[in-house]
Amino acid sequence: MLPNIDLRIANMIKALEQVVLPALPRDQRLARDQAMLVAGHLRMMGEQWKSALRYEQVALDDLQGLARQLLPAASALLADDLKAALAMAQACDRASVTAIERANIDLGHAVDAVILGGTDHAPLPPASIDALLDYALRHARRERSWFKANRLDPDQNDLPDLETMLADAD
Amino acid sequence: MPMTLASREDVDVWDRSEMEPRIRHILERTVRLRDTGPYRPKSDAEVMAMLTGFFAAKGLEEIAISDVERMSGGASKEQFAFTLNHREDPQGERLVLRMDPLEAIAQTCRGREGEIQAIMGNHMPVAPVRWFDADGDLLGQPAVILGFVRGVTQPSEGGSGGVSGMGGRLGSLIDRLAPQYIDALATTHRFDWSRARLRFFDAPRGGGNQAAIWQVNWWSQVWWDCLVEPVPVVALAERWLRENAPVCDRPMLVHGDLRMGNFMFEEPSGKFTAVLDWELAHIGDFHEDIAWTMQKLFGAWGDDGVFLVSGLLPRDDFVTQYEAASGNRIDPVRLHYYEVLNAYKCAVMDLGQAMRASIASNNHQEVVLTWLGSAGAVFLSHIVQLIRKG
Repeated sequence: MLPNIDLRIANMIKALEQVVLPALPRDQRLARDQAMLVAGHLRMMGEQWKSALRYEQVALDDLQGLARQLLPAASALLADDLKAALAMAQACDRASVTAIERANIDLGHAVDAVILGGTDHAPLPPASIDALLDYALRHARRERSWFKANRLDPDQNDLPDLETMLADAD
Repeated sequence: MPMTLASREDVDVWDRSEMEPRIRHILERTVRLRDTGPYRPKSDAEVMAMLTGFFAAKGLEEIAISDVERMSGGASKEQFAFTLNHREDPQGERLVLRMDPLEAIAQTCRGREGEIQAIMGNHMPVAPVRWFDADGDLLGQPAVILGFVRGVTQPSEGGSGGVSGMGGRLGSLIDRLAPQYIDALATTHRFDWSRARLRFFDAPRGGGNQAAIWQVNWWSQVWWDCLVEPVPVVALAERWLRENAPVCDRPMLVHGDLRMGNFMFEEPSGKFTAVLDWELAHIGDFHEDIAWTMQKLFGAWGDDGVFLVSGLLPRDDFVTQYEAASGNRIDPVRLHYYEVLNAYKCAVMDLGQAMRASIASNNHQEVVLTWLGSAGAVFLSHIVQLIRKG
């Protein structure tokens, strides 16, 4: 691939920062703010894109683990839906970001249904709540690390870099 | 999860129809109009045409709109400054148009914003409300038109601003800003809304859980209407919020977003010129405002490493000064509940409404919405920590 993705992203950032932004009048603050954010998004995407497939795989694997932990306490109807979504997730094309995203969404819907307990809002056992909170903390930390470069996280200094975060998941 | 003891005024915590009527109208309108996008940012010429038609419908004559200038700031509304001249005011007035794009990070009502801001202008500095078009009947999209107020939300020197007022520092003006900020919160909560004949607001019953459930139903409906990708802890938080909904003894006016970035002041005096962004105002539990402004994302660390609520006061000082100014006692249990609710609201806005508006291309600054969305997981961590704290 020539020019490759890294090079094109670097070129776009340079064009925005060294040509487009200086040409924008200082009173055009919305345009200037958006141009700076585009450069910020590009910089972040430059760091992320090579790991995107691995990231989605880790996210789906973690959600599948949660689904299995929720299964024993789920009502029969909700458990059937959860098993079906789990089977689809296990069968999805793990080389495709799009396929993994789709599986994540479908499995997420089945997990949500268990959390809300169906139409009668059946109680969630403490073990399921613990499993959910443990998963949620891992999920949030993964996402916060993935987007650490936005520098909006008040605790960004406590987060690992992308390579460390993904290596820890292996 | 513990259940709140039922009182005679309690509502069914799972009854999703328990919602303030005007909020339901806004959320239903959002879904109805979603597919009419994508939204294109308005040009200056389009804004001039819209305003000219609006003022003509209001009976103004010899209308001239000039010096239209797009404004930045905020993540929600499309804003333009402009000068209006007409026969009765040939000198002209500088005004601000705050207009709804088709979808924003928060879907709110310009009628509510205009109504409450006009009233609160009698009690604290706010931008004066000149007109509002609650449903966009005349302008084509809902909007409020405000008098232009001079001032800054971050010090010109020594401060540092982030997106939408987050992560900034207020520097040497802290001692002058903090008392005004406390006073604005206390004045809002002391306001006697029951005598105000509000058209666009309804109040939950005191002495029961309705105030809390109205909020849970508002934001959970936003989540399910906007859902892009399920997030298990968001569903868990909804369940926790229903099962732990506290009694609100006495509903009060809640600003909904009174924190760093939403008050404007002049330099070098530090005198408040306007309390901004009343779009999330509602009648509810004052703990919601207290919990909102205490969030880490809206604060800053002082030079000594101490966290400052809204960049102004250490937490204990904030609580002491607020209680003295308002006469309200902060209940730690209710404060904790509203900390969870607020983290949930922020997650819903960042990972739900902002993402849906971006996917539908229904906003004028999707690049800001996805930037804010990338911070959504901060609130997921907060939810876990808060629920575990119990």
